[in-house]
Amino acid sequence: MPPLLKLILIRLGLGLLTLFLVTIVVFIATQGLPGDAARAILGKEATNVARYEALREELGLDRPMLTQYTSWLAGVATGDFGTSLVGGGQKVTTLLGSRVANSAMLVFLAALVSIPISIVLGATSAIWRDSRFDNVVNLGNLSLAALPEFVIGIVLVLIFATAVFKWLPSVSNINALVPLTQQMWLFVLPVATLVLAVIPYVSRMLRASTVEVLESEYVMMARLKGISESRVLWHHALPNAIVPTIQVIAINIAWLAGGIVTVEYLFGFPGIGSALVDAVANRDMPVVQALVLLVAAVYVVLNLIADILTILISPRLRTGLR
Amino acid sequence: MSTRDDRPESDFLSRPVTRRQVLKGAAVVGAGAALGPLLAACGGAEPTASPSPAGGAPKTGGTLRVATAAGSSKEDLDVHAPALTIPVMGMRFNIYDSLLEKDAQGVLGMALAEEIVPNSTGTEYTVKLKSGLEFHDGKSVTADDVVYTFKRILDPKKPGLAAPQLRGLTPDGIKKVDDLTVTFVLETANAIFPETLAVYSCGIVPTGYDPKGGDGAIGTGPFKVEDFLPGQKGVLAKHPNYWRADGGPYVDTLEMIEFADSTAQLNALLGGAVDYCQMLEGAQRTVAEGAGMVLLEAKTGSWIPFTMRTDIKPFNDVKVRQAFRLLVDREQMMAQGSGGMQWLGNDMYAPFDPGYPSDLPQREQDLEQAKSLLKQAGYDNNLTVKLTTSTSVSPGAPAAATVFARQAKSVGVDVKVDNVTGDVFWGDEYLKYQFAMDNWGTRGYLEQAGMGSMPDAYYNETHWDHPEWLALVEEAFKTVDDAKRNELITQASTIEYNEGGYIIYAFDKQVDAHSTKVAGVIPDVSGLASAANNARYRLAYLV
Repeated sequence: MPPLLKLILIRLGLGLLTLFLVTIVVFIATQGLPGDAARAILGKEATNVARYEALREELGLDRPMLTQYTSWLAGVATGDFGTSLVGGGQKVTTLLGSRVANSAMLVFLAALVSIPISIVLGATSAIWRDSRFDNVVNLGNLSLAALPEFVIGIVLVLIFATAVFKWLPSVSNINALVPLTQQMWLFVLPVATLVLAVIPYVSRMLRASTVEVLESEYVMMARLKGISESRVLWHHALPNAIVPTIQVIAINIAWLAGGIVTVEYLFGFPGIGSALVDAVANRDMPVVQALVLLVAAVYVVLNLIADILTILISPRLRTGLR
Repeated sequence: MSTRDDRPESDFLSRPVTRRQVLKGAAVVGAGAALGPLLAACGGAEPTASPSPAGGAPKTGGTLRVATAAGSSKEDLDVHAPALTIPVMGMRFNIYDSLLEKDAQGVLGMALAEEIVPNSTGTEYTVKLKSGLEFHDGKSVTADDVVYTFKRILDPKKPGLAAPQLRGLTPDGIKKVDDLTVTFVLETANAIFPETLAVYSCGIVPTGYDPKGGDGAIGTGPFKVEDFLPGQKGVLAKHPNYWRADGGPYVDTLEMIEFADSTAQLNALLGGAVDYCQMLEGAQRTVAEGAGMVLLEAKTGSWIPFTMRTDIKPFNDVKVRQAFRLLVDREQMMAQGSGGMQWLGNDMYAPFDPGYPSDLPQREQDLEQAKSLLKQAGYDNNLTVKLTTSTSVSPGAPAAATVFARQAKSVGVDVKVDNVTGDVFWGDEYLKYQFAMDNWGTRGYLEQAGMGSMPDAYYNETHWDHPEWLALVEEAFKTVDDAKRNELITQASTIEYNEGGYIIYAFDKQVDAHSTKVAGVIPDVSGLASAANNARYRLAYLV
């Protein structure tokens, strides 16, 4: 078996183990919260004990904890994520389907826009370091990094949707019944907000590592050999500089995928972040578990991809595998 | 009103602490700046209509898009179950009708019922339905559906929200007389039975009603369910055979879109994504007005009281209760607790009840008198009480509690404010607190007494047990004659004014905003879910 494939398989196995442990931790954590779904459904009516007990029985919450967990796990193993404990008792997959799609689209677009911009900004400010351009980019990055994303979002809304211009929709109330591709307009402001939140981290990371590489001895050697500056940069410097940045990018995308609750609130965006908050408040175990599993899986996969890319890009690691 | 259903308190339970609330909390601690309104689940209206931007006959057609507060995936459209969130309560208003109803001024009148005839002792009520009523699925409304509806509400296995309020009614007491007539035979006299029939959780549903998932959520209301995504939105379409000859519905589609954050809600209105925005918070009024929106202000009968347990120390001594009521600076508390979204209270509930003693003097702060009362009760700078509060009571409740503690300090009473989360507040200790706060909707006096003040009332949080008062209230429950009953209510209310366990410093106002495209909405004293009682969306039209 090729070493890389072996590595991937081992990491996937470990990832599955991680996910399994996550389900246990989440289950115990939600049990530790006061109240349960029956109380959440009844609200103050839960003071009516008979009614509360009847509902607990109906929802299967009177079963022992271990039984509840194992029956849920058995379902998941066969691809059945169960039904929501609250509301109309919909299938978890039905309930979350459109939200997962919305969030996935949001993350995809935010990554698609922010990564190239970050790389270009980071690399160019490294090349022209301490120039006026570099200073401006630095200042911008630091200012953006200092602002919470909802502040950025509010300012964007004020400028582009309500107070100054009315060019863009102020809220992203995506219609689950219409294909997303017909509603791209609604993604503009949330994506812009997230892009502005991600760029500072990635571009500053890339700038720092590019500066370091450009000052290294092998780049000096390349220059001494008379290789053109652009070839030095694109062929020798950047591939090495980008390695640490890949990890930062992976973490940022995973952060986006975890559901950006404040941005979802600000734009009324139906994503998984607000769904998770809602499900925790409702003690809606199947929904909480499904969402946490999804987010954990994204983390596992992204980290794996980042590690593989790191290996493929860095010559030392790549050759070390053989 | 039905049992506390106009207070989807669990909405506050589930509503995550948003940035806005955090900011608001900061404002309280810091500068005592104006808080948001008591974003009460309840609010309502005063009987004066806000300026309507357009005169003339209402236009028909179009889609009215309403931005409503935070919903949750736990919502359902079962009209007899507790309405857990503000949006779903609003939707139910538009989907269902009850036999009777209260109008925008809170006056009781007929809805699906043609007439209701009591016997002389208030133990039997005969209801005749209007003829030609139709459910959303085209089926006619008959006495069988009425019988089914009330048996469903009284189902002992899964009682409806209104069950405890239908005092004296048992399933056996519901009798079909003919196709359009039903007689309710009560086990005990209940003069306010017709008022209870008007609560929305007594909505009439067809035989075999199964509202799970929204598909079977069938009623007789002005709008029928087209699409329902819990926690996201409800799309309702005009009911073409609505029974009312006049009064809408005028728009073809009513979309109720849920927002987790009130900033997003207002932005949706300012950006033109919706036409109508429910329940503005304090400072948002100025923003909306500045952007050319029309405000709709409602003066409601909902209240956020301080509750003193009248059966344990120190509040078992009436002098302490009187002293506590006298040390409140009501104006200051309103300013700091709600940012001008309240109107003055006088320690009595049910301000719109015909029997409300409005000629009693307005109680004001009197520190000297408070001090002297406390001294007579044996307290001289040595009284310490714990005040339990929570943002889930009302976003402004902790601020009001802090103001109270500060005011109490000036007469040497040490009030320790315990601000807890909703889970804890409504948990096992609820109804047992020595000194706490609560939220209540707009109700008639007897309805409210039956829920919160009678010794056997489910929510008797002040543990009020006053024989003379009880005799008056029980007499009022038996008195079918309106004038006589109102006189009894005035007397009972006066006893509570002098000796009761509530400090009712204010009632809530509620403000909605809408674009100039919307006309026809009127404010409503009930303040359920919005300044315009949601049922009034049938009156709304687009110009």
